Amino acid sequence: MNDVAQRDEGASVPTSREQRAEALLPPVDIFEQGNALHVIADMPGVTHESLSIEVDNNVLSLEGEVRIEMPEGLAAIYAEVRAQRFVRRFTLSHEIDTDAIQARIENGVVHLVLPKKETHRTRRIEVQPA
Amino acid sequence: MFDDLRRFDTGPFQGVDWFRQLMDEFFTEGGAADIRAVPRGSYPMINVGRTDDAVRVYVFAAGLSAGDLEVSIQDNVLTVSGKREAVVPETEGEERRTDFRRERYRGAFSRSLALPDGLDVERAEARFRHGVCEVLLPKREELKPRRIEIRAA
Repeated sequence: MNDVAQRDEGASVPTSREQRAEALLPPVDIFEQGNALHVIADMPGVTHESLSIEVDNNVLSLEGEVRIEMPEGLAAIYAEVRAQRFVRRFTLSHEIDTDAIQARIENGVVHLVLPKKETHRTRRIEVQPA
Repeated sequence: MFDDLRRFDTGPFQGVDWFRQLMDEFFTEGGAADIRAVPRGSYPMINVGRTDDAVRVYVFAAGLSAGDLEVSIQDNVLTVSGKREAVVPETEGEERRTDFRRERYRGAFSRSLALPDGLDVERAEARFRHGVCEVLLPKREELKPRRIEIRAA
């Protein structure tokens, strides 16, 4: 995994159920192309530093803290985003090469590439003429 | 410097599970909804906060940058509009692609929101960071809180 995926062993990851309940579910696109699965997640306000991606026991976790600057004394008038974190988890299938997962974040969009293991790649089978 | 979004928590929190999000939409806590409010999960989501001297609008527009979002204000109604294209991986051109989930918004959008009175639109500023556009709308001088001196009798 690259540096985005490796950081943060739990410093900012909430453990209590209460904290988890206050997380937002980011919308994702998932597709398969070029011997890899691609996961694209909208996590606006999450930075390179506040994003944590982990694979544990075949479960992929995406967690990110929304970091926006708010001045002292700011009172809400109207709110659609009512949590500080984005959290989403997926169960991976066995053919994903978890060591080769790559991640990047740009403008609050996370793009994960999950390559399949060499042995599971699509092979074209030639059909012999009879 | 960075503070807590939970200050925006004006009601029951938005749960992780889709079921509760769905139920929240059907049973909206008895309160009246804003006429321009949208269902949760719409794109982009918007928060509005107020300080003594300004109103701040946060537009959660992941995937956009400064040039992609148009912000306008007319008669105290703020409109944000723009377009977000689907992400296409650069390397694989014509390879077959199988979609499993398509939850992210794609295409053009336009959202409007009524703002409080008394804002100095001429001095408005907007900036974009990490997919969040922050619009700062200063209050007009005469509407700022004022300290009133109490004179001795």
